[in-house]
Amino acid sequence: MVDNWGFIAVLTLVAFTVPLIGLALSWLLRPHRPGPIKQTTYECGLETIGDSWVQFKVQYYLYALIFVLFDVETVFLYPWAVAFLGLPLFALVEMVIFLGILAIGLIYAWRKGALEWV
Amino acid sequence: MPHIPSILTHFSPELILVVGMLLVLTYDLWVRGREGLQANLAIITTVLALVATLVLWVTMPGSHPVFEACGPGAKAGTCRPGAFISDDFTHFFRVLGLLGTLLVLISGQTYMRGRTAFKGEFYALVLSAVLAMNLMAGANDLIVIALAIEFLSITSYILTAFLRHDGLSIEGGLKYFLYGSITSAAMLFGMSYLLGIGGSTSVPALAAIARNPELAQVQGYANIMLPALALVLAGIAFKIALVPFHQWSPDAYQAAPTPVTAFLSVGPKAAGFAVLIRLFVGSFSSLSASWLGTMGLLCLLSMVVGNVAALTQGNVKRMMAYSSIAQAGYMLLGVVSLGGKTLMGLDSVGAVLFFILTYVFTNLGAFAVIIAVEQATGSAELGAYRGLMRRSPLLAVSLVVFFLSLVGVPPLAGFVAKFAVFGAAVTGGQVPLAVVGVLTGVVSVVYYFGVVREMFFGASEEGQPGPIRVGMGTTFVVLVALLMTLVVGLWPEPFITLANNVAHSIAPALQAAGGH
Repeated sequence: MVDNWGFIAVLTLVAFTVPLIGLALSWLLRPHRPGPIKQTTYECGLETIGDSWVQFKVQYYLYALIFVLFDVETVFLYPWAVAFLGLPLFALVEMVIFLGILAIGLIYAWRKGALEWV
Repeated sequence: MPHIPSILTHFSPELILVVGMLLVLTYDLWVRGREGLQANLAIITTVLALVATLVLWVTMPGSHPVFEACGPGAKAGTCRPGAFISDDFTHFFRVLGLLGTLLVLISGQTYMRGRTAFKGEFYALVLSAVLAMNLMAGANDLIVIALAIEFLSITSYILTAFLRHDGLSIEGGLKYFLYGSITSAAMLFGMSYLLGIGGSTSVPALAAIARNPELAQVQGYANIMLPALALVLAGIAFKIALVPFHQWSPDAYQAAPTPVTAFLSVGPKAAGFAVLIRLFVGSFSSLSASWLGTMGLLCLLSMVVGNVAALTQGNVKRMMAYSSIAQAGYMLLGVVSLGGKTLMGLDSVGAVLFFILTYVFTNLGAFAVIIAVEQATGSAELGAYRGLMRRSPLLAVSLVVFFLSLVGVPPLAGFVAKFAVFGAAVTGGQVPLAVVGVLTGVVSVVYYFGVVREMFFGASEEGQPGPIRVGMGTTFVVLVALLMTLVVGLWPEPFITLANNVAHSIAPALQAAGGH
């Protein structure tokens, strides 16, 4: 038991030492010439425009909520569709009721103006 | 296809609630010109669900599983037991939840009218909360238990934060949400272990493994069931607001709209005890030697902390939060007194059920008064009750009766309930806890009396405020609660028989477990 823990301790030590050695070596060997271009965002980044502390359009969350609703609906529909041939008629009725309740939710959101961008 | 009738009959109260909830939510989309009838629609839905439950209870006694899982091509007899059980125990908690909600809806209607424009949403959420409570009452599968508790929690968070222009209400709702999400995570973590050990989410299957570890899917890990059950207990204790899972409750109770506070103080507690009793007493009683100590500790802490912390509260809603924590401690005392017998042959589970029955009516009566006072004075601080005796003798006298019943003074319902629970504790081998219960009960007199003193002897500085006009709904709820508090206190026999019968409906599991 104790041997196993000793093993883990050694492994931890090695795991921390190896990358530290690498970093230390490259720090010793590399030339140190920073420039403005070297410090810019590279590869898949873009230059930021303005401050990120701005007001976002919070109304977006309504779309997100309705999207999640129908996303989850799909998750339920797939296994139901795969097993459809083996299921009794009751499963069909159940799914119709489920979709009906979701449709009521959509109508509710629609009539309450949640889909309008103001 | 045996499923269709079983859902349409034994699940009908819940189906009525679903339909009613959708109608209430979309009421103002279909109906133009007749505004504000959502409350009435919600009351009608609740009454219909109540009638359906009573009809089921009377005409079809016994245990009826709903949602039996029979996969495609399953042979007869290989179906998994129902995820939802409709038995006497479920009916008892359905009736309590629906009656409690009915009283809250009637007494809180005028209070909510002036405070929110979202009537349909409010009443739809209240109906969803009752639906969740019904599901908890009959849940017989870990998934249904988890979903029902989450369902009730989420509706409770929204209801607590419903006054969205009131910073306190938002704060209370947020605290409730943060505590709730942590305990839910703990509960789900525990359930994942139970599933891993048992290979099933069905409670009866897991109970069989608890009795006989040989049946487990993974051998040699049966001991993990205990910490897993402890995590599940944490989730339930959060819903019931047992110390130390109670920190959300004073803030949520104080900040929520008062009818919601009234609802929170009875609904989730009753439903939480339904799950607790069905799970621990009904199914995992073979492990009772291991969970009794933990629950005894929760019980002790709830009784002491609840009663002591209530002493210094200046806000009556906050005081009632601590008072209801203490009352939950007394209920738990009955749960840990397994095997105790008390008056008229009532066993310990029956004593808990009887206690919850009296608590629902007494506490809702007290909250009807608190709602009326807040409506008249705009405040739930202690000072708002100054001279209430002069301003409304009905409210003042009723509140005294409800407080006396909560303290446990004969001949009121609370006395019989406490007597039953303490009796069960003494015969069930929990004498120290019973002693603590009696002593903390004496402490509780002090804080209830603080309100009474303001009502009767508090002199008002700024002249004499006029009498309070008490609405029809409040009067009705106060009188019903008074009647129940007196009738159950003076003539408890039928209610004790009822509680005993209900307790015996989950006793077969108990006896089977005791045999091993």
